[in-house]
Amino acid sequence: MARSKAYVASVGFTKVGDHWEKSLLDLAVEAGSSALKGAPKAKPDVLIVGNMFSAVGASQEHLGAMVAGALGLTGIPAFKVEAACASGASAFNVACSLVKSGSVGSALVVGVEKMRDLEPEEASQALAMAESAEYTQFVGASFAALNGLLARYYMESEGVSRDELSSIPVIDHANGVTAEHAQFRKAITADVVSRSSMVADPLRLFDCAPVGDGAAAALILGDPKAGAGKKLVGVLGGAVSTNEFSVYERKDMLDFRATRDAFGSAMSQAGLSLPKLGALEVHDAFSVVGALSLEAMGLSKRGEGCRDAKAGKFDLRSDMPINTFGGLKARGHPVGATGVYQIAEAFLQLTDAAGKNQVDRPDYVATHNIGGVDTTAAVHVFGRAS
Amino acid sequence: MYLMQSKNRAAILGYGAYIPYYRLPTTEIARVWRGGGSGPNVEKAVASMDEDTVTMAIEAARQAVAMSGLDSLGAVFVGTESKPYAVKPTSTIVAQALGQHHTLAADLEFACKAGTEAIQVITGLVGSGMIQAGLAIGMDTAQGRPGDDLEYTAASGGAAYVIGNKGEGAIAVIDCSTSFVSDTGDFWRRAHEKYPRHLSRFTGEPAYFYHIENAVRTLFEETGHKPGDFTYAVFHQPNPRFPVEVATRLGFTMDQIKTGLLNPMIGNTYSGSSPIGLAAVLDEAKPGDKILLASFGSGAGSDAFCLDVKDGITKKRGKSPTVKSMLQRGTRIDYSTYSKFRDKLHK
Amino acid sequence: MAIQSWRIRDRYYRLVGSRCASCGAEYFPPVYRCRECGSDKMKDKEMPKTGRIVTYTQLHEPLPGFEAQVPFYLALVELENGARVLTQVVDSPDEAVKTGAKVKATVRRAKVEGESGQIIYGYKFIVA
Ligand SMILES: [Zn+2]
Repeated sequence: MARSKAYVASVGFTKVGDHWEKSLLDLAVEAGSSALKGAPKAKPDVLIVGNMFSAVGASQEHLGAMVAGALGLTGIPAFKVEAACASGASAFNVACSLVKSGSVGSALVVGVEKMRDLEPEEASQALAMAESAEYTQFVGASFAALNGLLARYYMESEGVSRDELSSIPVIDHANGVTAEHAQFRKAITADVVSRSSMVADPLRLFDCAPVGDGAAAALILGDPKAGAGKKLVGVLGGAVSTNEFSVYERKDMLDFRATRDAFGSAMSQAGLSLPKLGALEVHDAFSVVGALSLEAMGLSKRGEGCRDAKAGKFDLRSDMPINTFGGLKARGHPVGATGVYQIAEAFLQLTDAAGKNQVDRPDYVATHNIGGVDTTAAVHVFGRAS
Repeated sequence: MYLMQSKNRAAILGYGAYIPYYRLPTTEIARVWRGGGSGPNVEKAVASMDEDTVTMAIEAARQAVAMSGLDSLGAVFVGTESKPYAVKPTSTIVAQALGQHHTLAADLEFACKAGTEAIQVITGLVGSGMIQAGLAIGMDTAQGRPGDDLEYTAASGGAAYVIGNKGEGAIAVIDCSTSFVSDTGDFWRRAHEKYPRHLSRFTGEPAYFYHIENAVRTLFEETGHKPGDFTYAVFHQPNPRFPVEVATRLGFTMDQIKTGLLNPMIGNTYSGSSPIGLAAVLDEAKPGDKILLASFGSGAGSDAFCLDVKDGITKKRGKSPTVKSMLQRGTRIDYSTYSKFRDKLHK
Repeated sequence: MAIQSWRIRDRYYRLVGSRCASCGAEYFPPVYRCRECGSDKMKDKEMPKTGRIVTYTQLHEPLPGFEAQVPFYLALVELENGARVLTQVVDSPDEAVKTGAKVKATVRRAKVEGESGQIIYGYKFIVA
């Protein structure tokens, strides 16, 4: 009795930022219970936790059974899915596949990361685990360093200016102002980005997503009737793709192939063309990554991502708004949770529950979550379930 | 009867020097510790924070091996008083980096004399036919206690020599040598101590001069050579003054020693001091030239060598960077950068 | 760390990468399967020690163990055989570290395991 559909019935999330009083488990439970409360009659058949580095951040593994137990779900199968910063959307992708295959009727996905318990260099080390221990971490290259190399290459080969590079963080911060769960809720100008402290030349502090704690959850159903009359959002397409492991091993470093393939595949499953999208949550862990992702998904021509952003093409009130709640830069980037935050935000947009961040009645929203520098890309396309 | 001479003469087949990129003007040390003035030397070469005797030895050794054209070494000896590990050989790391495994490997220690000691041992192994060729390295990252007189001169650097059977590729034949030692405690470092100690004026007459003069005079007496026979002479250089003084006492002129006298520019590189002086001489020597090399190590002893420059030098010149080019490439640092590099902040 | 590094010390000291026995493509870090022709017949091969900077960054916020070095240069270097190495660039004046600059390999301390642990050595590059 294979089903072919999956629906998001409800979502839950914490504010992103400093949660000194809350543990990894506290955060996971808060987001998870909130998602379960949204559809009280639907009990999940499986729990998939998206998380990148609980082992390092909280000396904790075995998150599946631990979170299941804390949510009162002891008995159901429960696993952790890890794909670096793409852990959240990858967990969601696995859960959707299980639901669509018919092997489960419903699934709860919880993305969670506890980053602020770590000192800055420890957090850098944890993030660097997304890259080769033997050849990347070994030379002292942090994740920011790799993106710094990439940013210089991008700017030099495509003639992108410092001001243009700043335009995506500017959009994120503008949208974060009214997003209650965002880590930063202050608008910035391009000058603020270009005057912030240097992290990995040419990347500055405001080119880089912040470190924050957070958890987000989504309840997935196979049968829309199980949603008991609540507004549902259909998962119309979903794909995960991988690229050559390290960005420096690729023939064309500026081609985000994993993003391109995952986006193409998810959009074709949904039967959609670009103009149909009403909003896009793009994984801009670094300004340069946002630009290259927009280009890979065809929203901008090669080398034009930042210039298009600067021209207003992706503003909240444009035809193709991105990062409607602040994206990775302003909403924040609790890595293993980020992909699920994006999905929760797509849910809010498609159920007209986005408040001040609501874009004008979108029919379709896509989310794009990556791990490494486009090493793993997970894209999902959502639509209103009528 | 004290002369050492292998039945089959061994020769230098390749050499490589290494001077780190950073230079500390001694005015900087004087500024910090005396409020002005300078040290006996102008500058000293300072290893960067990621350098040590292993990395510098590898760098010099790669040049020496490339120049020699050999791909197999029967021995890798590193003479140093600044082993990165108290226990774990420097030489095996160097051998691994050179891709050499069927080889003798050992670290030699004799204060500033360990480099020439390595040359003596390899010469013997080659001369006896036990090995075809071997590598002798003198290299140090010498440390002086902050504010101590030694801090002005204690420097980093050295040189590596591939020594094998003389033949067409010979750069210089090691004709003969002497060695002279006695129990003389002019300079020492106890186990677990970071910095050495020394008995200031005692390091001159009873130590440096007594041992070098004995080794060189013995060489002269037993070979019949006299100072005038040599185009060049290189003496251990703990400061700019001692090598000039010992040269004068032994009958050498400034012309003979100036090429190999590097102390004013780089300081005292300890085990690397006389080997790097020899490298500077080989950079410009001509076939037929005769070179006297005399080291000194506290504790104490001196090795003296007589080398004959051969035709191979013209063919091989230019195959490794010259000492002059390394002297020119450096950049000056201040005392605080030096402190950061050499871990002076934890005394 | 010590054993993980020991296992590949020839890669760290001598830049031993891999060469495809089918099409001749060369790689550093080594690969299991050729990206050009798909062959799995990869053989260890020592890489050339000179190349050019493709792109670079100066890192100001270090990973643990690299604090004393900041700021320091990291570059992507294309070796003469086309293999691409991510590496630190040391002992080079700021104005010399730029895209297209010629560099040569050296061996340096890569990581030190505290006061009593092992010293891990590995490749770094210098502007030639
Ligand atoms: Zn191939």
